[in-house]
Amino acid sequence: MVALAAKYTQAFLLGLQSNIVYRWNFAVRSVFSFFHLAVAFVLWRAAYAQTATIGGFAFGATLTYFVTLIVLQFFIGAFNEDYQISDEIRNGLINQFLLKPINYFLYRLSIFTAARLVSGALVLVPLVLALPLLRSYLVWPHELWRWQLGVPAMAMGALIQFTIAYCFGLITFWLLDIQGFVILSLAVESILGGQMFPLDLLPPAIFRAAQFLPFYYQMYFPAAILTGRIDHALALSGLAVQAGWCLVLLAAGQILWRRGLRRHTAVGG
Amino acid sequence: MPLTNYVRIWLASVRYTMVRTLMFRGDFLIWSLVEVSWTAVNLGMIFVIYQHTASIAGWNEYQMVLLIGTAMLIQRLLMGFFWSSLFELGRNVRTGNFDFFLAQPGHPLFMASTRKLDPDGLLNAMVALGVVAYAAHHLGLHPTWVDLVVYAGLVLGGLVIHYSILVLSMSLAFWMGNAQGIEGGYFTLADFGRLPREAFKGVGRLLFVWVLPVVVVSNVPARTLLNGLEPKWMVWVAVAASGWFALAVWVFGRGLRRYASASS
Repeated sequence: MVALAAKYTQAFLLGLQSNIVYRWNFAVRSVFSFFHLAVAFVLWRAAYAQTATIGGFAFGATLTYFVTLIVLQFFIGAFNEDYQISDEIRNGLINQFLLKPINYFLYRLSIFTAARLVSGALVLVPLVLALPLLRSYLVWPHELWRWQLGVPAMAMGALIQFTIAYCFGLITFWLLDIQGFVILSLAVESILGGQMFPLDLLPPAIFRAAQFLPFYYQMYFPAAILTGRIDHALALSGLAVQAGWCLVLLAAGQILWRRGLRRHTAVGG
Repeated sequence: MPLTNYVRIWLASVRYTMVRTLMFRGDFLIWSLVEVSWTAVNLGMIFVIYQHTASIAGWNEYQMVLLIGTAMLIQRLLMGFFWSSLFELGRNVRTGNFDFFLAQPGHPLFMASTRKLDPDGLLNAMVALGVVAYAAHHLGLHPTWVDLVVYAGLVLGGLVIHYSILVLSMSLAFWMGNAQGIEGGYFTLADFGRLPREAFKGVGRLLFVWVLPVVVVSNVPARTLLNGLEPKWMVWVAVAASGWFALAVWVFGRGLRRYASASS
């Protein structure tokens, strides 16, 4: 067990070093994200000019939701893991993992965790700088249970995001170029993941249907728990569905890996 | 090099693109679907927000659809004509493959910008135009042919501004080791083009309407269809397009000097 942990700890440390090299890219992306926040601020402030609440929430609560979403994106979102896995398959670099006693999924998960630590730390910089401008608008619920349920929701949200990226990367065993699928998925995630607007603003029937899809649990679900958009009962039931999706996607990843290896040919090396 | 030679080179790029698209028809279909999806995402957001409010900065639902359609038209034209080529600029600079562009006839910026076209982007420019027409029909608009010609000219001005911002973003690759994700800067600024000018106040108005003309790019043509000609804003688009293009060419040139000196 200790040896197993040491193996993936080493991968984690390698991932940390590798991502610190590209810290400026993460820093620039985090700054751009706050420009996205500015878009949301301008749009929703104008929308709220005619009404005090939208979907039962005031402007401050909605802005707090978008700020939380941006921070979560850098702590638990998948950035290019799909393309990295795809490159390793296409270039044959994956062959080294077939010969060594290392699980490729756990290896990539270790690197993903390291990368998210770096990007998460970097997003705090523009957040702290923007805080004086945002402070008067932000409203946080005080219930402790929101953090008690929110943290596991974030962890499972990260696992869902990574596993979806992992599955897309493995599609390279069958298709040369996954970029189209990835960007199509991004379009779906941006709507059904709550990145364009809080999902509770959807018509009730569509909101209910969205709760059965994995995209709901990627970002919206942890953000909604932390910012007070869903109640305790919905949060508990949501955690159960989210755990179910983690298992389904892990299984899908395993199936794709085994089926993909049957097609894979390693020559030379 | 004479202008006719540039036209011939561009037509060769168009032929290459068409042949490649016909070879990879599946790719064309997937990317067309991707582009339509993003249009649907943006319109979906508007329809959801307007379930809860009657107006955004004085613009009603179909006025916003017309604004977003205009913003998407400009962006899809950029994606169709220039995106693929400029997106590769960062990778080419990093790997040294940019040397091939320096060895080709014609200005390096032209060669780097026009090597590939994206037919799916151009197809979705038609979709965006359809969205504009749909919104105009719902609003009962009857623009004159002068309004339409001016609209087309303003869209072209907007395209020049978008192109310039993208060139500036991708030119950072000459200074940074890895420009991955830098193109996000362009998309971030392009997002502002989907907002009504009236929604911006104070410093925001100064920055995003006058300094960075990303809001003006889509608002002015949309307002031309809605309210008729506005000469002050037409002149501003023309001035902004000229200024930003000159800045993009200058920055690209500075970056090129740095690249050339590093690789020799």
